[in-house]
Amino acid sequence: MSMNVATSNDQARLLPLVVVLIALALWWTLSALHVFPESLFPSPVSVAKGFVEEFQTGRLLNDLIASLFRVITGFTLAVALGIPLGLWLGHRTSARTALLPAINFFRNLSPLAWIPFAILWFGIGDVPAIFLIFMASFFPVVLATIAAVASIPSVYFRVAQNYGYRSTELLTQVTLPAIAPQVITALRVTAGLAWVVVVAAEMIAGRDGLGFAVWDARNGLRMDLLAVGMIVIGIIGVVIDRLLVQLMKIQSVRWGYEQ
Amino acid sequence: MLRSTITRVALGVIILIAVLGLLRFKPWQRGGGSVEQAANIANGPRQQLNVGFLPVTCHLTCPVTDYASKTSTATRFESQRFTDFPTVVETVKGGRLEATFMIAPLAMKMREQGVPVKIVYLGHRDGSTVMVQKDSPAKDLRDLRGKTFAIPSKFSNQYLVIRKLMDDQGVKPEEINFVEMPPPDMPGALAVKAIDAYFVGEPHAAKAELDGSGRVLYHAKDIWPRFISCVLVVHEKLIRERPEVVRDLVRGIAESGEWAEQHRLEAAKLVSPYFRQDEKVVRYVLTQPPDRVSYRMLTPTDEDLQQIHDMGMKAGILEKPVDMEDLIDRQFIPADIKPANITVQASNGAQ
Repeated sequence: MSMNVATSNDQARLLPLVVVLIALALWWTLSALHVFPESLFPSPVSVAKGFVEEFQTGRLLNDLIASLFRVITGFTLAVALGIPLGLWLGHRTSARTALLPAINFFRNLSPLAWIPFAILWFGIGDVPAIFLIFMASFFPVVLATIAAVASIPSVYFRVAQNYGYRSTELLTQVTLPAIAPQVITALRVTAGLAWVVVVAAEMIAGRDGLGFAVWDARNGLRMDLLAVGMIVIGIIGVVIDRLLVQLMKIQSVRWGYEQ
Repeated sequence: MLRSTITRVALGVIILIAVLGLLRFKPWQRGGGSVEQAANIANGPRQQLNVGFLPVTCHLTCPVTDYASKTSTATRFESQRFTDFPTVVETVKGGRLEATFMIAPLAMKMREQGVPVKIVYLGHRDGSTVMVQKDSPAKDLRDLRGKTFAIPSKFSNQYLVIRKLMDDQGVKPEEINFVEMPPPDMPGALAVKAIDAYFVGEPHAAKAELDGSGRVLYHAKDIWPRFISCVLVVHEKLIRERPEVVRDLVRGIAESGEWAEQHRLEAAKLVSPYFRQDEKVVRYVLTQPPDRVSYRMLTPTDEDLQQIHDMGMKAGILEKPVDMEDLIDRQFIPADIKPANITVQASNGAQ
């Protein structure tokens, strides 16, 4: 969303920074006044030290790579399978009637509930974590794609028919451009979901990952490292979202908005 | 136009995953001559076994054995850290973990459910503590009537022992309000007075003591001398297929325990990176007082475990009786236990 006035662009950069500074000040005040015990509510200074420690040992980078690998793999699998399934169901009324309740059912299950089965089927390590992230993101992607396809005005298809479009052309020239904006918005929400699930997914006896680092810090009674993990997870979440927003700026994707 | 966009994005994602995969698995680091690989070349491939543990001092000998096995020529033991017992149980049931430390009543519960596991050794003696709030006037459990008391699990021996102590002191089961809570959360909950007391394996009790938010009401040894909370459990499949590995494991755990008894400060230093806990806290548990936890006399006796079993039946966490004959396997315990051959310098500043 572009700002109209030049100054509001500066504001857009400045205002979030101000909020961050206020939050930091509040945090620092609370810890300086010892409202909560230091061992449970770490000060910004100890968290900063923890950050340096984690960075220098290389653990932070290692955890970051592990989490990104799991989340991006799980999420990509969900998108790669979910969008085609959604497209197909969007066009096939009877299949949709048959499968929609099941998809809705699975969408409502918390990924946490799948943990015992994930361990049973995939053991421990990367694969069960990827599976949990997949389970969290696949069904929302399918549902969003179905909804997007259903909302395409039928006049588009009639026009395409008049032009004699073949089915692949119909897909790439009409359906995909028409659903792109809606699907990308859904992907943003789902990517956020996938990133949230990483903490739960990496509970499964991982050896690394940001989610694991958070659990591990808690087990190790290290609230400073816990806060480091939380901060990094939050920042990466924002970065992923910004990247997906970039997708929307692609000219051909904007087509959907211009209607 | 859009088609090429999709192709570009898809290509970008594939490359991204490939790069992350490379960074994650670092294929170029394989074949770099590590000490272990050199040992493998010298002695042929060594047997290898993963052993599960949680970062509690009850499981201290597990990472010590891992450390000792790096340089030995016998089986290589990789200690695999878990964060909770349900995951341990599910991993064992799924057949992906054949040896692990776990709370004794949980091992009995698994046996009751038909999972063929055996207790081959104990993890420790003592090493659990009942904590109350710093300013609490409580002198015994009678003073905790109507209070909230946290336990790690209904399947923990801590819960069973507290139930027995309540019985001894004439406190009825419903007079204390028990809550199950992950051990790491207990010191915090006590500090903010969300709970009034807790009973847990170290170092989660020492943490409250060091923070100044709690005081010791009972050490485990005060209420139940030579208290057992965790045991070493192996799957019968492992005993059948690789008995020599189980023998190595039990000997390794026994010798690690003897070493830790003689080198408490060094042990604290050795395990704190495995636990990823502050060395100070672990050192405190191992030295204040030195008999807070013990790693000797770890042969499981029928009487000890039968007693835990009977308390479990009484508390209703076990439904069917488990035969001690089926549960315990003592054939792998070595006759003489020497300290493990480990060289670690104690940290400076250790008292």
